[in-house]
Amino acid sequence: MSYRRLEADDFVVSSEAISSTCWTTNAPQLTTFFTSSTQANGSSGTYYLNIFDSATTSSVQFAIAYGNAAGSGSAVYNTAVNGLSPTSTIFGQWQDLVIGDENTNFVFGNITSSEFFALPIERACYKDSIFLGSLTLNLSGTLGSIKLTDNSSLYSTNGLAVQFNEAGRVFQLVSGSAGVINTSVNANGYSLASGSYGWLLPDIGTIILNPLALSGSLVSGGIGFRWSGSNATGSAAYTPATNANFSMFQAISGSTGFTLNSQETITSDFIFVRPRSSEFNYSENPSFISGSTGAVLYPQFINNPQVYITTIGLYNDTNQLLAVAKLSRPLTKDFTKEALVRVKLDF
Amino acid sequence: MAYLSNEFVTIDAVLTRKGRELLARNDGSFRITQFALADDEIDYTLYNPNHPSGSAYYGQAIVNMPLLEAFPQTQQSMKYKLITLPRGTNLLPILNIGYPSISLPQGASLALKPQTLNYLGGTTVEPSGYTATISDIRVLNNFEGVGVNTPAVTALNITNQTTTIGTSVSKTVVGTVINMTATTVNTLFNAASQLSATLTVVGNDSGARVTVPVTITKS
Repeated sequence: MSYRRLEADDFVVSSEAISSTCWTTNAPQLTTFFTSSTQANGSSGTYYLNIFDSATTSSVQFAIAYGNAAGSGSAVYNTAVNGLSPTSTIFGQWQDLVIGDENTNFVFGNITSSEFFALPIERACYKDSIFLGSLTLNLSGTLGSIKLTDNSSLYSTNGLAVQFNEAGRVFQLVSGSAGVINTSVNANGYSLASGSYGWLLPDIGTIILNPLALSGSLVSGGIGFRWSGSNATGSAAYTPATNANFSMFQAISGSTGFTLNSQETITSDFIFVRPRSSEFNYSENPSFISGSTGAVLYPQFINNPQVYITTIGLYNDTNQLLAVAKLSRPLTKDFTKEALVRVKLDF
Repeated sequence: MAYLSNEFVTIDAVLTRKGRELLARNDGSFRITQFALADDEIDYTLYNPNHPSGSAYYGQAIVNMPLLEAFPQTQQSMKYKLITLPRGTNLLPILNIGYPSISLPQGASLALKPQTLNYLGGTTVEPSGYTATISDIRVLNNFEGVGVNTPAVTALNITNQTTTIGTSVSKTVVGTVINMTATTVNTLFNAASQLSATLTVVGNDSGARVTVPVTITKS
């Protein structure tokens, strides 16, 4: 026989969480940020800006999309209809996705806001979800700079119940870095009067920024962030170079970098292959046979055959080869040896 | 194709093209139930039973050889299976399908009756039959195995595996007789006068294997 059936206890299924940097540069911190003039000046540029790691590659790392309930910050679709513009579309899109209620606004900490910046991370970058406690987003404004992180450490150390919304888990964005909260302005890491700096939504790979918290003075926890939206000139003349998304791009690209890790659960199927001592001791290899009669190559092989396992084939009931595994070096097999090989298949 | 580092014994496993195809089909056919071992890449003439340092060194030239990574192509892996036979066996099974190569004109049929020599004490047809795989099913109008009627084999033999359009998809059947009919579709030939594929037949009990070229000639 050349096939051997696997027993039920030869299979073990294991899930393992793997974390790694989000960025395609494979560096922990993204330090260079580029936009594409083709995308920014195209039809999608009125809604969002794609951010790249390099001017020469086409690897999108994340996007920036400004949402405003009143439609401020971009030109209206039709001058006869007030309040409907790309920013109001973005607001409604995220309101539906994250809150699930078109009548409820975003509440950052304890402050209700009708505007935000969404930073959706490229799906291939964040994989399954964002790894909690890994975020350090540096932003620079007219007054200074700030580092933002998530407050997930409070939930692991204080035993608080994690909050959920329509987008899964929700953590507040606070002053700090790599999950460590900076309490110099506010004990909870929030801005002094404008609530938290936004949300981290790890399950959909998105950061929601609260621009009001960033717009304040340094003593109130802000950085003097300015953008073309409700705090500026409303729906006045719109060009890609001055829209709100570009303002946020400048705040990010003018800073020292953006650190974020992804998390992925890899489900592995371990299969234990156990050839017994009396099994698999002869070979159909043509070099094992002498001539066309099928006689074994050496007389020693008649009673003490020695073969070398190089390949393991995994089959279904109808002998179709589903997976193949190669050893890194040949494994000797004879009537005095048994082997136990663990094959790992990742899905 | 790269070499595997052999400083440590590691395992490099990949899904085969057939495995991915069955996984995508999502009909339960991707279910690992058995394994086989092979010694592809091993040249037993390197085994030296006259090594001056003794029997511990007979396989010296083999055990330290570097091995290539796994091939995802089904027909390129598990070529030479290790088999379980009683100790003292001096003749190994040999598979004979009666043809060193198969050449068929368009529309012609052929019934292959594989036989296994040196196996099962004089019985030349293996009870579990033979697994036959045509590397490109487009070259055949009909490819079927008959003579083995287990539920799994019956399910395999009736499955339509030619639903992928425009690409070379292999088809596997099991039987003691393998029937095939060359394609009648002229447009497959384009400007060529022949179509080519390979047929691999494996004895399901013995593991003996033979691969022959298949050529379909335009009428």
